Parts: sequence; C-alpha cells; structure tokens
Amino acid sequence: MADDSPASHRRDPIKSSVGNVAAQRRRQKAVTVGKERRESLFRAKRLCRVGATGDGDVSVEENDMITDEEGFLLDAQTSSAVGELKSAVASQGKGAMQKRVNALRELRRLLSKSEFPPVEAALKAGAIPLLVQCLSFGSPDEQLLEAAWCLTNIAAGKPEETKALLPALPLLIAHLGEKSSLPVAEQCAWALGNVAGEGEELRNVLLSQGALPPLARMMLPNKGSTVRTAAWALSNLIKGPDPKAATELIKVDGVLDAILRHLRKADEELATEVAWVVVYLSALSNFATGVLVKSDVLQLLVERLATSNSLQLLIPVLRSLGNLVAGDSHTTSTVLVPGHEITDGVIKVLVKCLKSDHRVLKKEASWVLSNIAAGSIEHKQLIYSSEAVPLLLRLLSTAPFDIRREVAYVLGNLCVAPTAGEGKPSLIEEHLVSLVQRGCLSGFIDLVRSADIEAARLGLQFTELVLRGMPNGDGPKLVEQEDGIDAMERYQFHENEDLRNMANGLVDKYFGEDYGVDE
Amino acid sequence: MEVTQVLLNAQSIDGAVRKNAEESLKQFQEQNLPGFLLVLSGELVNEEKPVETRKLAGLILKNALDAKDQQRKVELVQRWLLLDGNAKSQIKAGLLKTLTSPVSDARSTASQVIAKVAGIELPHKQWPELIGSLLSNVHQLPAHAKQATLETLGYLCEEVSPDVIDQDQVNKILTAVVQGMSSSEVNIDVRLAATRALYNALGFAQANFSNDMERDYLMRVVCEATQSPDVRIRQAAFECLVSISSTYYEKLAPYIQDIFNITAKAVREDEEPVALQAVEFWSSICDEEIDILEEYGGDFTGDSNIPCFYFIKQAILALVPMLLETLLKQEEDQDQDEGAWNIAMAGGTCLGLVARTVGDDIVPLVVPFIEENISKPDWRQREAATYAFGSILEGPSPEKLIPLVNVALTFMLTALTKDPNSHVKDTTAWTLGRIFEFLHGSAVDTPIITQANCQQIITVLLQSMKDTPNVAEKACGALYFLAQGYEEVGPSSPLTPFFQEIVQSLLTVTHREDARESRLRTAAYETLNEVVRCSTEETAPLVLQLVPVITMELHNTLEGQNLSSDEKEKQSELQGLLCGCLQVIIQKLGSSESTKYAFMQYADQIMGLFLKVFACRSATVHEEAMLAIGALAYATGPDFAKYMPEFYKYLEMGLQNFEEYQVCAVTVGVVGDICRALEEKIVPYCDGIMTQLLKNLSSNQLHRSVKPPMFSCFGDIALAVGEYFEKYLMWAMSALQSAAELSTHTAGDDELIEYINTLRNGILEAYSGIFQGFKNSPKTQLLIPYAPHILQFLDGIYMEKDMDDVVMKTAIGVLGDLADTLGSHAASLIQQSVSSKDFLNECLSSEDLMIKESAEWAKLAITRAISV
Repeated sequence: MADDSPASHRRDPIKSSVGNVAAQRRRQKAVTVGKERRESLFRAKRLCRVGATGDGDVSVEENDMITDEEGFLLDAQTSSAVGELKSAVASQGKGAMQKRVNALRELRRLLSKSEFPPVEAALKAGAIPLLVQCLSFGSPDEQLLEAAWCLTNIAAGKPEETKALLPALPLLIAHLGEKSSLPVAEQCAWALGNVAGEGEELRNVLLSQGALPPLARMMLPNKGSTVRTAAWALSNLIKGPDPKAATELIKVDGVLDAILRHLRKADEELATEVAWVVVYLSALSNFATGVLVKSDVLQLLVERLATSNSLQLLIPVLRSLGNLVAGDSHTTSTVLVPGHEITDGVIKVLVKCLKSDHRVLKKEASWVLSNIAAGSIEHKQLIYSSEAVPLLLRLLSTAPFDIRREVAYVLGNLCVAPTAGEGKPSLIEEHLVSLVQRGCLSGFIDLVRSADIEAARLGLQFTELVLRGMPNGDGPKLVEQEDGIDAMERYQFHENEDLRNMANGLVDKYFGEDYGVDE
Repeated sequence: MEVTQVLLNAQSIDGAVRKNAEESLKQFQEQNLPGFLLVLSGELVNEEKPVETRKLAGLILKNALDAKDQQRKVELVQRWLLLDGNAKSQIKAGLLKTLTSPVSDARSTASQVIAKVAGIELPHKQWPELIGSLLSNVHQLPAHAKQATLETLGYLCEEVSPDVIDQDQVNKILTAVVQGMSSSEVNIDVRLAATRALYNALGFAQANFSNDMERDYLMRVVCEATQSPDVRIRQAAFECLVSISSTYYEKLAPYIQDIFNITAKAVREDEEPVALQAVEFWSSICDEEIDILEEYGGDFTGDSNIPCFYFIKQAILALVPMLLETLLKQEEDQDQDEGAWNIAMAGGTCLGLVARTVGDDIVPLVVPFIEENISKPDWRQREAATYAFGSILEGPSPEKLIPLVNVALTFMLTALTKDPNSHVKDTTAWTLGRIFEFLHGSAVDTPIITQANCQQIITVLLQSMKDTPNVAEKACGALYFLAQGYEEVGPSSPLTPFFQEIVQSLLTVTHREDARESRLRTAAYETLNEVVRCSTEETAPLVLQLVPVITMELHNTLEGQNLSSDEKEKQSELQGLLCGCLQVIIQKLGSSESTKYAFMQYADQIMGLFLKVFACRSATVHEEAMLAIGALAYATGPDFAKYMPEFYKYLEMGLQNFEEYQVCAVTVGVVGDICRALEEKIVPYCDGIMTQLLKNLSSNQLHRSVKPPMFSCFGDIALAVGEYFEKYLMWAMSALQSAAELSTHTAGDDELIEYINTLRNGILEAYSGIFQGFKNSPKTQLLIPYAPHILQFLDGIYMEKDMDDVVMKTAIGVLGDLADTLGSHAASLIQQSVSSKDFLNECLSSEDLMIKESAEWAKLAITRAISV
C-alpha cells in the first residue's frame, strides 16, 4: 500500500511455459483419482444392502474442539460477544430475534471453544442478567437453547462462577417442564446438573426451588439423550449428605419403573448414568434401598455386570450392588440366599470383577464379597468353595494396599462364625486351617505392620484367630515364623490404646515367659 | 525513554545498536501499549523531529494495527479496540494533524495509519466523525494538505468495505475526489492523489453509477484525466477505466466509442505503462463478455442479471488491427526473461482473448497479417505473424482453423528447424503446442496429424529439444499436447513406435547442463509424465523399465550432504520432479493387474526412497513425495501397512502444515488413499489422524480450501474402520453439524457459492462414509440422534436451490445411505422431510445419469425403510 501507485493490472501472458500448468494438472488428476475411488467405493457399498439393526438411541453431545487460541484473545472476543448480546437484547422489531440468537450463538461458541472457557470474562462483562433475560417465557426454542448452553458452560467453571448462576436457576428449572421442547429441557437439565455438582449449598437451593420432580419426570420416557442427561443431573442433585432428596426421588411416580427399564434395556452409556442414580439412592437413603432390594434391580445389576465390559458402567453397577448388600440385611437374608440362582450369579460376576485388570473393580468386588461373607454360615461356605478364594489369596499377597484391606475383610469373615451378642467370635476351623495353609497369614501380618488403624486391627484380629484356633497349638509357631512377634511388639507403646492393649495382650498370652520352654 | 534517539538507532547501520534499539522499543510496547503508541504518534506529528524517525514511528504504529498473518491481525484489531479511549483520541488527533505537515513523507505515513485505524473502527461504528473532518475544509487547505487528505481517502476506501460507509458520506468523498481530479485543480500532485483515490473509491460508487448524470460526470472526469500532461495521472486514469470495465460493465455502452478512441491513441502513442493499461481495458472487457457468454451459452434470454453488449464484436474491425500493431513491438530478449511483460505480450494476450470472445469472426482479420509478415526478412515481422496465429487458435471453430493449420504445419516445422532467429523458433514451437492443444485429439473430427506427417513432427520436436533452453522448453510443451491428444486413442497409439526415442530424448534434456534455465527441466519431466500417462498397454514394458531409471535418479539426489540453502532448494525441486514422475508411473502401472504385479518388486525400494526424501527436510513435508505415496498406497493395498510405522510421522507432519495449505490438502487426500488401501488396518493410526483433523478444523488459520477434503476424509476413515469410528463420532458429528449450519445458506459472489458447494460436498461425503461404515454393525443406533439434523441439512440446501450437480448427487446419496443404514428407525423422520419427496423426485427426473442412479437407489432404500 505504500507503493507509488495502486497495484497495476498485470495478467498472465498467453504464451506461457507448459511446466506451469502441467504440474498443476497432474496434481489435480491425482486428487481426482482419489475422488473417483471414493465414489466407486460408495457405490459398491450401496449395492450390497443388508437390513439395519439396533434399537434405542444415544445422546447428541454438543462438544467443543480443541484450539490453542490464546486466552487473551478469547477473553477479548468474549467481552465483545457479551456486548453484542447486550445490544441484541435491547434491540426491538424485525430481525431482533435472529440478532439475539446470533449473539448467543457466538457467545456459546466462545464458551465452548477451549478447555478453559473464558467464563470469568463473560461474567465480568455482565453475561448472566442478559442470559436470564433470554430465558424468559415465550422465547423461541433456539434462543432458549443457546442461552441454556451458555449457562451450562459457565456453570462448569470455578465454584464462585457456578454460583453466579443463582438468578438463572428458577427459569432453568421452569424450562424443564413438559411444555418445553426436548432439546431445551435437556440443555437446562445439563446446566442444572453442573450447578448441582458444585456442592451441598447449591444442591439445597435447587431442591428448595423444586428442581427434582421435573428432572425425575425426564427420566421416564425412552428418549436416550434426555434420560441420560436427566439421570446425570439427578445423581448430582441427590448426592446428599442429606438423604431426603434420594428418598423423595424414589417416591416419584414411575421413577423406579424407569430405572428398572433403563437398566434392562438401555445402551451402556445411558445405563451408566442410571446406575449412578442407583448408587446415590442406595448409599444415602435406607428407604430407597429398601424399595430397590424388593424390586428386580439386583437381578438387573448382576446381568449388567455379567455382560458388560465397560469400566464406566461396571463401576457404578458394582457399587450399587455393594450398597444394596451392605445397606439392607434383607438383601443377604432373603434375596441372595445360597442355592438361589441369583446368588450364584452374584458370586460369578464378583469373581469376574476380581479377575479384571482394574483396581477399582477388584476393590469394590472385594468389598461386596466381604459384606456377603459377613452373612450366614451358608454364605461363607458358598464363597469359600467358589473360585473367589484363590483369587483373593493372590490379591492379599500382591495387590495394592487398599485392595488388600478389603480382601482381608473377606478372608477374615470367612473364618468366623456369625455370633449373637458380645465376646470373641467363634471360629470356623476348617476355613481357617485351609486358608492359613494356603499362605494367607503373612498377608495379615503385613497388615499388622500397616499404619492404617483399621487394617492393623484386622491383622491383629486374624492373628488372634490363628493363635487361638490352629489345632495342636501350632498358632504361635506359625505367627513367629512370619515375624508376627516383631510386628506385634511395635505396638508396645502405640498411641492407640485399643491396638496397644490388643497386641500386648496377645504377646503376653502366647509369647510370655513360658513360650519355647517346651522345646 | 528518548524515543527519537531510539528510533534513529533502530535504523543504524551498526547491527548491535539496531538490535538494542529494537529491543527497547519492544519492551516499551509490552509494558505500556497506549503510552507507546501515543509516543509514536507524538513523534510522527512533531515538526521538529527528523523525517526518518517520523516515518519509522508511523510505520511501527501501522504495524501495531495490521499484519499479514490473519490470526495476528485479529489480535491486533482486538487490542486496539480495547485500548484506552483517551489515548486513542489523542493518537487520532495527532494523525489528522500530521496530514497538514509540510513534510511529505510524514503526511503519507499518517495517511496510511489513519486508513488502518479507520479499517478497524468504522465497522464498529467508531470514529464516525472521521470522514466529515477529513472533508470539512478540504477546499481551503493548502495544496500539500489537500493532497494528503485525498490520499487518505483513497487508502481508506481500500481498507474498509463499502457497506460500512453510508451513501451520504460516499457522495461527499466522491465529490471531493472528483473536484481534486478536475482541470480546475492546478496542482499536479493533488490531481494525481485524487485520481488514485478514485481508483479505490470506485467500489463505493454503485449508486452514483446508477444515476445517469452522476455517471456521465464521473466518466467525463476520468476520460479527461487520461489526457493529462502528467504520465502518472494518465496511467492512474486508465487504471480507473480498467476497474470500471469490470465493476460497471453494463453501464459502459454510452461511452465505449469514446473509450475506444482514447485507448487506441494511448496504445499507439503513449508511454508503455499507459499503453499497457489501455490494452488491459480491452482484455478486461473480453473477460467480462467471455464470462457472460459462457454462463448463458451464447443465447442471452433477457431475464438474467447482466446482458452481453458485444462491445468486442462491435469494435473488432478497429480493435484487431490496433492489437496486431503492438505485436511488432517485441523486446529483444523477452523469451529468456520469465518476468517480462511488454506491449507486444499484452497485445498478443488480448488478441487471444478477443479470439475467444468472437470466435470465427477474428480469422479473416488476422490471416492477411500473418500472410503478409510470416516470410519477411525482419525477424520481428515473422515472429509477430507466428504469434498472431498462435494467439487465435482457441475460440474459432476447427472447421475454420484446420484448413489454415494444414497449410501452416509444414511451414512451421521448417521454421522450427531452420529459422535463424531464436525468438521466432520459440514462438513457432509454442504455436505448434497450441495447435496440438486445441485442434488435435479425439474430439476433433479431421485429424491434422496423420501417418504421413507424424514421424516428421516428432523428429522436429525431438531435434528442437537440443536447441536453446527456451526453444527446447516450448518443444517439450508441444510434445506434451501431442501426447495428450492421443490419451483416448485405444489399444494402439501412433506414438508407440517412437515411445522409446521420445523417453530417451526427454531424459537427455533433463540432464542438460542448462536444464534449469527457462524451466526446461520441469517441462521435460512433465512431458515425460504426460507421455507415460497417455501411453497404451503396448508400451507398458517400457514404462516398467523407467522405474529403476527414475528410482536411481531419485537415489542420486540423496547423496549430497551439508548442502547450501541454494543447493538444498535445487535438490528439493529435482526430488519433486522425480517424485512426480514416479507418481504417474505408479498410477499407470498400478491401474492394470498384470503391470501392477510386475511393479511390486520395486515397491519397498521406492517407499524407502520416499521416506529418505522426507528425511531430507526438517520441518516440512515434500508435497510431491506425499502425492506419490498416495499412488503407491493404492497400488500396494493392505500391504501398505508395513510402511505405516515409519511413514506415520510424516503423515502427521503434513497434516500439521498449516502454512503450506496445499501440502496439508495433499496429505489429507493421501490419508484417504491410505484408508482405502489399508481399510481396518488403519485403526492404530486413527487417533492421531482424527485428533489432527479436528484440531485443524477448529483453527481459524487453516486455509478454507482444505476444509472440504478434511470432511471427506472423515468419510474415508469411517468407511475404512466401520463401527470403530464410534469413538470419534460425537466430535466428528459436531464438527460436521456446525459446518453444515454454516453452509446451508449461501450469500455472496459466484466464487463463494462454488466454495460453499465444495464444502457441502465434503460434509455430505463424510455423512455417506459414516453411514456406510456403520451399516450392518450393531451400533447403527448411535447414528439415530444425528438423523434429524442431517435431514434438515438436506432439506435446507435443497430449499436454497443453488447446489451444483456434484452436491446434488452426493446429497441424494446421503438420503439413501441414511434410509439404508437406519431403516425403520428413521422412517417417520424421512417421511417428514422435503428431501424424500420433492428433492428425490427432482433427482429422479434429472438428465444427469449419475444423479439419476443415486436417486433410484435412494428411492429403493427409502421404500424399504418405510415399509418395514
């Protein structure tokens, strides 16, 4: 532009070198060849026609893509997008609606662009009141959708940024209703799910504003993506710690049926979200647990565990199962009765989980087993004679600490009979002898050495069983061989009185002055 | 900071001082941008400062507002918009004040900066008073300030788009500009600035050109300026006329006679820069009329946008002689100078355009000139005659030209061997090439090359390949078109007997010491490629023999080490030519089973060489090698998997190459080739490829032309990997969906509509690939949620009524794929869509067989989906 004259017209001479065009043509031909091949492939595929299969459906998740745009620029663009929105909201008459939608879409695009959305910039520029206004009743769907989407992404920000949504909550909840179009309701549910996930305080606000019933009703139909989003939002909403919401949820008409139906039929992604709802229901509310165990839910959970390989799904399903087993004695006493088909099914899927490569599955499965092993003699015998024991023994010696602790509970529970009342538990000698012979003692002695009080207690309790219960008074010798004395002597001056007394008592009783004299 | 000294230092010849100064400027800028810009504008406006620091200050200011790089530009614009308002007003005041400076460099710099600021602010409705304040007292200003104001208006019109300035202001700008141009203005510099400003302001004058009086006035002023005593003003005025010829073609009728007189006089008598623009006016009119006539197939019906006024046809009797005269004004060595552009070249180029515009009518006007001059002793006359002949070979009908060619051919062949003048030989060889390009081939009924003259033609051309580089290059070109004409000749080609000799001669040319001159080596290799590409089965064994020869050549390029940058460039260029050659050979041999089998023995070795060619460069990927690998992948099929571990990193590098977007585009194409070759074996590489594709798509730096093939590439991948595509589905669909939303509606010029159609096609190919990839898998249900949007997209583009045939075929195919893959799940959706009825019916009755076929298939698929 600083040239002396404007760019003069200059065209390619008619007499030009063949090399200029030839290479270009050759490259174009190469591209054309590729296109022709794609074309023939399409046509070939279209000719062999086979019926389509499959049912159910899955959600469309609008997601962002990665860009490495600088934050600075993004912030600047965001402020100016909010500015645009402000003027669009203020404008009236023909085209105003389209203008608003465009402005919202631009803002949404910016908020969806990066892993670190420019939420702060949007809030600073005053986005919330504008977005709330865009949610007013009677607004066109497109506008509602975009506004809710913006809010969803803002709610995904830091805690105080999530809190900024407070003025928007009543309208977001209002748009969950049956009068709203599904995409709008779903987007609002998403935003609310983000808010609920933030913490107890916001959860209570949402509950007091009546978010739960409409979200619960969104779970009822078979529309995949909607149910999934609603389930996810609900699982955030009932997280507690107050069990009231969970109890309220299970009482909503049709929710139990919907949970069962989705667990039975839905694809894995949807089943995953529904399973998380079951996790929180069963973890928090005794009432809900009671309702659930009387339904088919255990059977469905077992089936999912048996057939799925998706870790995302297996975790909540397994945890739900564990909650139901641990939370209500009804489960073990009347549903998982040894001899019933379902009981064998449960053991089988738990064995499958113990065999899995995933630490979480192994740990959760051991936890479930420990709860079952705390049941009747028949339960203990069932586990004892299952494929689980060799797996548990191996885990006790090789697995990471948290799994070992759960495994120790199972093995420990297998060796003691159910007791009524106080006093030392009575032994199941057959199980104890066999497990000790198969080398489990060293694992328990290891736990004695652990800094974790609960694990150490478990270790000491099992050591006590061995000292007391091994036939022919072999116990002390076995414990000594595994350096058990040394492990217990560490507790001589331990700050935890309970453990100190227990360890010192055992050492005094079995390794006192008389120990070794006989030999 | 004493900014004057720093700015002086920044222009010091001492590198260290300069670096230091640049560093402190940078620091200042980073620490306090408004302060920095303010100081710069203060420097620019200050009459006591040296001119060079004022200029530099202005330049830095300008660079803080605009950059070539699009991303950077956006950043700068945002930064300026967010800058403190106070600082901005002060800066702007300083800039405006500088326009009255007695120092011309300071004024001119300020003009440019003001235009940049205006380019940012006016679209945001900021600085609304700018144009008013520039124009407020333009009449009372001293000449130098008036000149600067007009210059500023010119730059401003270049920077901002017409829709941000309202008509009232446009009128004021035009008034000021036209007054500056008029003869009442005594100052030459003012008149020049005004004329140049008009050039930029023409795009704003739509309304004014629609008003007869205003248009008359504007045209009169421009025409007057072409008669100015100052050559710069005359040139600028003709540039205005050229611009008017394309922007306001339909308004020219009342003035065309006057313009012809003015241009004819300029072409004959004026200095070359002016004469060139005068010729350009007519070339530009030809462009317009060729476009119009092409679009309406010659029979203008009266209801379309712009009618053809046949200005060229009407002017032809005077225009052609004028152009023929220019042909005699050649420069001595123009053929050796690749960048040459002179009145003779411009005249010949225009003559070629006239021939395309009027067709047969031009022949009788040119033939006498050829006959009169072709045998004259003066080389200029012989060359001009040959050039005239070569120029009119495209446009007129073969019936009209072939009798002439039959007479001329022998003469030309003789001239090519015997003429003492290299310039004449050059043009003769080029003319032979044009003859073969337009009058030889299966489309022409009467062959001009016969058994009788074929041998002679080839002998002469091969002989001429030993001539000077420019002549040899043109001879290669002639051979290129000769071979191309036999592309569809059937099982036996007249070139077969000469194949070996031709290939040998071309290889010899590539080894000439002077092969780099006149792009001779490139021409030789491309000609070799064309000869191979158009060869028949008969010569397949000979093509196979070429493989080790070219492979060895490529191997030799890898020998050199520690090359200088110049040598590296040469190496890379040669590697490009050789890879290009291998690409054609592989494609040729790979296209038939028998030759493919024989070729495969070389595959490992060739792939090894391609990888070494890649390794020669550190950061970029060799485009030609990439293309050749695409061909190799197709030839080797699933076995290509063995090369993937080593090749993958280059593939990724190519995909990442934003700057050279052609490389990126080629690589995307190769990904498609590899998908088709490897099918599910591509799976291990998909994560990387998809990540890169999605990254590219979300970037605003990527050249738009790469986007459509990237979408198609989604389809290629989905087709290859089937339901495994599930993991990318959500992202891919989201990218496709947002692109689909953008491309449903087209608004803009033809070029944009064409682009939108390629984009639509890419999106649709992706959908087809995805549907077909998931077909028969248990996961087809995953696609159901996307169906409504896809149908909406199909309905949307159908309703726009502006899709081309390619899009139509792909779109109706997608409808079929959707129905076929989703079956009854989509039945009700399909039934609701417009596409399944009106669009389908339209396609079923299409004259295009491919569209019809796709539509019939789609109909079948829909019937099945609905009936279940």
